[in-house]
Amino acid sequence: MGKYVHLWVKLTVNSFLVSLTSRLSAILFLIGKLLRFIFFGVFLVVLFSKTQGIADYTLMQGLFFFLTFNLIDTATQLFFREVYRFRQLVVSGDFDLVLIKPMSPLFRALVGGADPLDLLMLIPYVWALIYVGSKIGQVTLVHMSAYVLLLVNGFVIATGFHILVLALAIVTTEIDHAVMIYRDITSMGRVPVDIYREPLRSIITFGIPVGVMMTFPAKALFGLLSPSLIVISLLVGGLFFFFSVRMWRYALTKYASASS
Amino acid sequence: MMTYRLNFVLWRVRWVIQRLVVYFLWWAIFANRQEVFGYSQTMMLTYILLSNIIGTIVLGTTTMSIGNMINSGELSNFLIRPLSFFRYFIARDVGDKLMNVAFSVVEIFLLFVLLRPPVVFPINPLVWIWLLIAIAIGVVMYFLFSFLLGLLGFWSAEIWAPRFLSFVIMEFFAGGLFPLDILPKPLFQLSQSLPFSYFLYFPLKVYLGQLGSAAMLQGLMVGFMWCIGLWYLMRVMWKRGLRVYTAEGR
Repeated sequence: MGKYVHLWVKLTVNSFLVSLTSRLSAILFLIGKLLRFIFFGVFLVVLFSKTQGIADYTLMQGLFFFLTFNLIDTATQLFFREVYRFRQLVVSGDFDLVLIKPMSPLFRALVGGADPLDLLMLIPYVWALIYVGSKIGQVTLVHMSAYVLLLVNGFVIATGFHILVLALAIVTTEIDHAVMIYRDITSMGRVPVDIYREPLRSIITFGIPVGVMMTFPAKALFGLLSPSLIVISLLVGGLFFFFSVRMWRYALTKYASASS
Repeated sequence: MMTYRLNFVLWRVRWVIQRLVVYFLWWAIFANRQEVFGYSQTMMLTYILLSNIIGTIVLGTTTMSIGNMINSGELSNFLIRPLSFFRYFIARDVGDKLMNVAFSVVEIFLLFVLLRPPVVFPINPLVWIWLLIAIAIGVVMYFLFSFLLGLLGFWSAEIWAPRFLSFVIMEFFAGGLFPLDILPKPLFQLSQSLPFSYFLYFPLKVYLGQLGSAAMLQGLMVGFMWCIGLWYLMRVMWKRGLRVYTAEGR
């Protein structure tokens, strides 16, 4: 474990140095990310304020859902940015060099290049989350604990999705669209999935567990999630992660080392 | 071949999912409401679905590769040929748009069959003529705008960051997620002073018949002026860019 922590720090420092080579570029990307966040926030404010709430959620609750989505989404991108670069390793055959090293290839493919811009973006997100959270009202310790637990669960599911994308990349060398499809689908979690009509609501709650990932943590904080649903969410998260790892192991057996 | 086919299929799947995400959001908002922001459900869903088709026509472009061509020195291959670089990209864009439209028409048809959304269908032929003109202006404007972004490659190797930033701003102010007139007045006025609203919002308002003759003519005139301005800027940037071009990478 200590070896992997040491390795992750090394890889992350390298990745940060590469990302910050062009400061102008980094600043423009940061501004773009911040504007995208602000623009959708403005849209939500307009939507909630002019419709007097949606699906019985107030404006502040709506914003809290959106901020929780951003927290999970950005943390995921912060750690798993290397997934976006994995295809090149596979098609060039350079993945061979990863496989022969005395470390988990999944570790290298998944967390081998953290994104410093997303780390910076977490600062305003966390600040806004705390601010909006404080406006919602009294939050009990139990609800807060459930929120943190389900945030971690959401992160585990997001990890599972990224592992599945990596597995797909090995089998088909397709990754660019697959990872963007994941992001498009999870973007439905920018608003509480409760607002969607059936059967879509059920599909994106448990079928493709966007609801469990993005909506359930905030619902738990508001005290709107039963203990049984919390347990089911954790089971969904655990099973999905287990399934993803199995798929990764299967994909490794299909690696052809083409082009190497 | 199998790899490219899957790549293509996933690209189209992504296109459909992107459209469905916005469609389902608005469909949900109208779950227990007749009207939101002065739009009925029929008008809003028409706006969203049609924005997908118009977006395919207007925003589909191959000019994104221009910056890389300049940075890699590949531009030199074009400069020595008896071929207009500008017209080459027009030809490529026409082909690209035709392919996109062909696929999106099929996909939108399938979505219509599956979702059966209520839509507005104007019977006045004049609306269709105005719509075609508005779309044509949007196509020209976006082509020139994207071309200009590519030309930044003459001065900087960092071409993706400005494109990303402009994409974020364009995505919001083009009106693909929602009609711009639901925004607070200052933001709406800001959107009208930018070229982006002519990519999607303006043609869609023309289609929905929500613009009077004067507003429509004014919009078309302003759009036309934007085209001339962008064209002139592109010519200036192209000439100045060639002066500093060093075919680096070749």
